[in-house]
Amino acid sequence: MTLLEITDLRGGYGPSMVLHGISLRVDEGEIVVVLGANGAGKTTTMRAIAGLISSKGAITLDGHSIIGMRPDKVVAAGIALVPQGRGTFAKLSVDDNLLIGAAKRRDRAGVKDDLERWYEVFPRLAERKKQPAGTLSGGEQQMLAIARALMNRPRLLLCDEPSLGLAPLVVREVFSLLTRINSEQQTAMLIVEQNAELALEIASRAYLLEAGTVVSEGTAASLRDSDAVRRAYLGY
Amino acid sequence: MQLFLEYLFAGISNGAIYAALALALVMVFRGTGTINFAQGEMALFTTYIAWGLTTKNVPVVLCLLIATAAGFVLGAVTERVLIRPIERKSLLATLIVLLGLFLALNSLDGILWGNQNYTMPSLFPNAVSSFITVGGARLYWANLGLWIVVAVLVGAMFQLFNHTRLGLHMRATASNRESASLSGIPVGRILMLGWGFSAAIGAIAGVLLTPLSPDSLGVGEMFPILIQASAAALFGGLDSPGGAVIAGLLMGVVEALLSGYVPAIGGQLQEAIAFVAIVLVLLVRPQGLFGSKEVERV
Amino acid sequence: MTMTSDSPSRAPLPLQIGQGSPVHRSLQVLGLAVLVALAILGSRTNSFQVGLLTQALIYAIAIAGLNLVTGYTGMLSIGHSAFFGIGAYTTGILVAQHNWNPLVTFIVSFLICFIFGLIVGLPALRIRGINLALVTLALAVAFPELIDRFPGLTGGTLGLNVNLTQLLPPHWTGIGIQNRFEYYYWIAAVVLALVLVLCANLTRGRSGLAMRATRDRETAATAVGVNLAWIKVFTFGISAAVTGVAGSVFAMYLGSLSADSSFTLTLSITLITGLVIGGVATIVGPIVGGLAVIYIPHWTENLRQGQTEGLFFGTILIILMFVMPDGLMGLLKRLSRHVVRIKPRAPEVAMAVSEELLAHRDRSADPDPEGKGDTTLAVS
Repeated sequence: MTLLEITDLRGGYGPSMVLHGISLRVDEGEIVVVLGANGAGKTTTMRAIAGLISSKGAITLDGHSIIGMRPDKVVAAGIALVPQGRGTFAKLSVDDNLLIGAAKRRDRAGVKDDLERWYEVFPRLAERKKQPAGTLSGGEQQMLAIARALMNRPRLLLCDEPSLGLAPLVVREVFSLLTRINSEQQTAMLIVEQNAELALEIASRAYLLEAGTVVSEGTAASLRDSDAVRRAYLGY
Repeated sequence: MQLFLEYLFAGISNGAIYAALALALVMVFRGTGTINFAQGEMALFTTYIAWGLTTKNVPVVLCLLIATAAGFVLGAVTERVLIRPIERKSLLATLIVLLGLFLALNSLDGILWGNQNYTMPSLFPNAVSSFITVGGARLYWANLGLWIVVAVLVGAMFQLFNHTRLGLHMRATASNRESASLSGIPVGRILMLGWGFSAAIGAIAGVLLTPLSPDSLGVGEMFPILIQASAAALFGGLDSPGGAVIAGLLMGVVEALLSGYVPAIGGQLQEAIAFVAIVLVLLVRPQGLFGSKEVERV
Repeated sequence: MTMTSDSPSRAPLPLQIGQGSPVHRSLQVLGLAVLVALAILGSRTNSFQVGLLTQALIYAIAIAGLNLVTGYTGMLSIGHSAFFGIGAYTTGILVAQHNWNPLVTFIVSFLICFIFGLIVGLPALRIRGINLALVTLALAVAFPELIDRFPGLTGGTLGLNVNLTQLLPPHWTGIGIQNRFEYYYWIAAVVLALVLVLCANLTRGRSGLAMRATRDRETAATAVGVNLAWIKVFTFGISAAVTGVAGSVFAMYLGSLSADSSFTLTLSITLITGLVIGGVATIVGPIVGGLAVIYIPHWTENLRQGQTEGLFFGTILIILMFVMPDGLMGLLKRLSRHVVRIKPRAPEVAMAVSEELLAHRDRSADPDPEGKGDTTLAVS
């Protein structure tokens, strides 16, 4: 069952176009990864889905168009983006960061339960509940960003470069957590990654972007063996 | 001692007003990243409204409430209509629009209410004899009332910031606007509310301050106060509400004591002193006393 | 002729003209000739008009100074009324109390205001945008108070009066005492011409590029090796100096100075309004702006006395930022681009730098185009 469907997406920043007609889809409960070199349009695609930049084409969630919606409406529709750079509210406490993540929810008790739940999943965050989030390490902030995005109970989680700036061991930890969340909650995920090897391990399908278009797509296994992806490993 | 206390009382009253307006400036700054040059003129405009109502025999309390509501609407509409479309262009464009608003509102005051000064009736007993004696010094009810109202107002704002969902969303928006919108916060509405609250605080400050001295409601009333309040806001750190309140109070007290005991720097030169204070603070500590360091990103 | 078009029979718009080509040169000469002709025409009007035009020219000089710092470098200065005032008082004091030749005092004004500009610009080394605007705001407010504080030097609230005989045109000009405003008019015109040449030179080439880089994206400019702090402080100095000279001409023209009426915050806002009307970061914009801020109030005076002018300027300032943020000259430039286009001769160095800048801007635009938020605060 298709959850997110993007057709012929075009967009960019002001007059400079970055996306030249991207089409991709994410099925329910599925992990899909988008690979590509710097400047291929990965982040721009994510920002377009999240409503941060205006774009043309079609983006639908469950068949309902979400293109042109404000970011907070996109969240309400069921999509949460973990932005590149993690978007930490640095001066606010870890607790507050997570509560902000529940901005769209009205059920106080449910929010409280979720808070407990994520503290169980991320025990290191629980130890630092009252600390300013800016004092956390990079890996902890990445976990916080993921937990924050999940507080709104999205059906689709967008992750933009979750491995950026993290030590290899921490990256592995982040990815195994994503897998765990996916299998426990059936949250579909669209992950943009430069670390192709690891990303392909947890994904079922993958897309390869070059200069704002999809140049290759298929199952994770088939892309792992393709020449195009080998080139992407090198990142040009 | 008696003289000292009298200076001190006057200083706290001025300081409370500076603190309130500085808090209003900080609220706008945290949301929009700009200094609202028109903050003082918005306050003045709503004070005129309150005064106009008192001349129609409306009870002063009701005038205060109406002026506060008018201030809220004025602030919110300003954000929605003038600031939101322009702020993404550049800070310069935003500042110029606010300067324009400053000039337009000030002139509008003059056109609507003329250039003469008026005396505003007080919310509190305001006769020559309505004072209590503290340590030999006279503490007028109008002053005491002003302190209490400002204290309650500031307390309520901090309660709002730190212990409500709306406050959390305001802090999130101030901290990282994009991230806030990605978390599902309707950032535009939050900013609009911030401007509304800010102008409402200004309105209350204006209605409380003006009765303290006769003939003080005039087109030039608020501008010097805005200067002092922005000095206080800078001094405390533009993004720190607590800093703004402390710095505002401090500024009022220091100013009153200085002009009381050192007549040479009193009166006319007070704004120049604020200027020197601003420059010195900015040179030594660009982020102010309690503000957080601005990080430039490449 | 270096017109490039596919069909020689009918040249499509826009016409392409190479920079420095004979056509371009002759257009420039023509433009200059028109300006000179207009200037001569202006001097031939009645003495009331000459007076108004002189004021407009003086404001144009001051706006040209402001343009350097606010238009080209993007730092809002609300304090230029003070520089204008410092220049005016320098001339006033030197002429009235020390019997100097007024024209010589222009140089002193330039230097003094340059130094004051550097001092006010100094905080720019450490602070950005909004705080600098506040420093200049405070300067505008403090200046009249300071003038009133030193009545021995400045005449205080009573004002400073210069004896008319010290301001008369010299004999060789052949201009009599009754036509002396024509003399001031030409002084203002010549100073304005010199200032515009100075501005044109400053804003071209490397220094101009660095100024604009500062305005458009401070951090990126730092990254490509432009010494940002120095550019800011220097620009502030020059800008203040130019506006100071405008004050000097003003002192000469008016002959009596009063800080409370002439050099207040209102003047600063007037200058900013003129700049926005004329067009920020254009060379000719300040002339248009100067004319506008003098003639608009003159025309609206008949409508209603008093505050109408402020309401009008305030409203116009807001409306312009929405519908015409690059002012009349910017609008003209855009429109003319449909008719004539100047093909630049690529200066190698400047091009290289600007390309580097652009490339950088694109990259930095990707993750966070607004640069908002404090995520980089992360202590990880």
